[in-house]
Amino acid sequence: MMATTRPPLALHIAPPTQRRPKPVEKIALVKLRKSFGLIEVLKGVSLKANEGDVVSILGSSGSGKSTLLRCVNFLETPDSGDVILCGEHVRMRQRSDGRSVPADPAQLTRVRTRAAMVFQSFNLWSHRTILENVIEAPVHVQGRPRKDCVEEAEALLDKVGLAAKRHDYPAVLSGGQQQRAAIARALATHPEVLLFDEPTSALDPELVGEVLKVMRGLAEEGRTMLVVTHEMGFARHVSTRTLFLHQGLVEEEGPSEEMFAHPRTDRFRQFIKRAQP
Amino acid sequence: MPSFDLFLGPNGWGKPLLSAALMTVALSLSGLAVGALFGAVLAHARIGGGLVLRSLADAVTTILRGVPDLLVIYLFYFGGSGLLSWAGHAAGYDGFIGLPVFLTGTLALGVVSAAYQAEVFRGAFNAIPRGQIEAARAAGMRNVLMFRRILVPQVLRHALPGLGNVWQLILKDSALISVIGLVELLRAAQIGAGSTRQPFLFYSAALVLYLVITSVSGQVFRWAETRSLRPFRRA
Amino acid sequence: MDFAFLQTTLLTLLGGLPLTLELAVSSILLGGGGALMLTLMQASGSLLLSAPARAYVFVFRGTPLLIQLFMIYYGLGQFRPTLQELGLWSFFRDPYWCAVLAMAMNTAAYASEIIRGGLGSVPPGALEAATACGMRPLLRLRRVILPLAIRQALPAYSNELILMVKATSLASIITMMEVTGLASKMIAETYRSIEIFACAGLIYLALTLILTRAVLLLEWRLSTTRKNGTPA
Repeated sequence: MMATTRPPLALHIAPPTQRRPKPVEKIALVKLRKSFGLIEVLKGVSLKANEGDVVSILGSSGSGKSTLLRCVNFLETPDSGDVILCGEHVRMRQRSDGRSVPADPAQLTRVRTRAAMVFQSFNLWSHRTILENVIEAPVHVQGRPRKDCVEEAEALLDKVGLAAKRHDYPAVLSGGQQQRAAIARALATHPEVLLFDEPTSALDPELVGEVLKVMRGLAEEGRTMLVVTHEMGFARHVSTRTLFLHQGLVEEEGPSEEMFAHPRTDRFRQFIKRAQP
Repeated sequence: MPSFDLFLGPNGWGKPLLSAALMTVALSLSGLAVGALFGAVLAHARIGGGLVLRSLADAVTTILRGVPDLLVIYLFYFGGSGLLSWAGHAAGYDGFIGLPVFLTGTLALGVVSAAYQAEVFRGAFNAIPRGQIEAARAAGMRNVLMFRRILVPQVLRHALPGLGNVWQLILKDSALISVIGLVELLRAAQIGAGSTRQPFLFYSAALVLYLVITSVSGQVFRWAETRSLRPFRRA
Repeated sequence: MDFAFLQTTLLTLLGGLPLTLELAVSSILLGGGGALMLTLMQASGSLLLSAPARAYVFVFRGTPLLIQLFMIYYGLGQFRPTLQELGLWSFFRDPYWCAVLAMAMNTAAYASEIIRGGLGSVPPGALEAATACGMRPLLRLRRVILPLAIRQALPAYSNELILMVKATSLASIITMMEVTGLASKMIAETYRSIEIFACAGLIYLALTLILTRAVLLLEWRLSTTRKNGTPA
């Protein structure tokens, strides 16, 4: 990226990384707009992620980064723009009061099992054990045989280091353990895309590391991930690309290492500086 | 002791009083069930309804909480019987047709307790962290599945203490059903008091039986509560 | 709609309003006194006082008000000669006083629990702070404990007040012609239960609404989260 004049921000798309000759597009968000009341949170944001991409979404609070992520699995429905997930365009329709909603419930369910989400506040179901949390969606949403799901769930819990805790209820786990359990739950539906919404922001500092380690492992497996985060180290060294949002617009984006080494915009330079003590 | 034979003798009053106590329990249980149904509908309207539905539910709640239960019982008994008599008249039968008293009592207790149960359900629903509902949606659950797997089990757990209170309320309210002639505990005591001219003795006996019912069922609720709240407590 | 009938019904029923109010006010006042006594007995630390108070609360909260009423009005009739000797018969023969007594005894039990809950909600830290700045027990009670406890207990007590207003209707079962008594008499005479229910319901609703508003106003006056508020 040597160009002195930059192409229009919203449409700027980073060149594919070299390690994959034929990239498969997993997520495409095109010119998303979203308002809450009079406040326009997203003012036409576009984003693409190919298979194996780990995209960090950075920005100060109120920049719209969480809203952007929540538009991918339609926890928020964008007012306009397109969401294309694994090649499938998610249809929306206008309700009589002018709000747009997903048009097809079956499609929505499909989308949501393809794009699993990990939340800031874990959101484990408190009336079910860790294992039950993990098998809930595969058994009841996807209708897979319980026995298979249990086997798989135990393997997943082993992978995130929680095999011993599988019959405990969420309330007895630490925040870091709960978040790792939530990651196992997200993986249980065999998602093609993982969405992380500030997964370490609600954790005590000493618990952040264990969660980041699990996430780094997932990135190394070549999973497609969108990560809204404040962890600069993760954004810079683990994620392949970074998207910096400012007031509902993409201010800067590019390959992570390069972007952190040579920030092009003042705002992003300021943002990195403030984040580093 | 004369009162010994009076209750425990071969033709004693012990047996009718005990079966009347069972009637009180049965009546209260069916009232609780009907009230849970009405209450769930009310709570649903108050949580998820549009403006019209919500105001309607609010109005019903206000009325039910502000009007004496006795009046509601009269309304059901005389109103229901009135309708029945009117229908009977149309079918060629002249005269007053009384509504079955157990049914009337169940309906009245259900309606009277519905407002309280709605509040309990609403509170229990609000006690579920929003994030867990979002997680369910993000996992691809549709409304019915989420309702069945995530909401109902948690609402029931959070509602147990409140339902325990409502149950006590219904048990005590069930005594009012005696005014329309259902032979539950209080009515049975009244009958015994009338035919033996020992009202103090009979009302005391009924009082003790009420105490047994309320404290035993209270214990059951507390036991269920500690059991069901186990997952929510930190070890 | 038969407006003429509704009007006469409403007017007839309003005739029972003074009695309803009298019953409610006297039993609430008497019951409030009883509640304070029960609370003090339970807080006294002496088993001789607290055990009977606890037993009393257990019995009155665990049984229906109607049986308590029958116990006093009909049950004590069994001891008529003794009561006559004691000169209490004129009191226990009168349904009005029996109703007031039953309701007052009943609400005393519930209200004492509410007061106890309010007192229990006072954070120990607030007490320590009061002690630390040199308040003596009585001053502490007056300036810290009671103001905090009353604020905490008010919503529950307002509920109890409404229940008491509604409970006055039970007096109709022992022949008192207050609003519900008049209503049931009219229903039995005319079988127009829906109209009569509506009129009686309206009267009770107005009463409970006024009561709720009054308590809300009081709560607002005492509110500690109100902006720019001057504590009452």
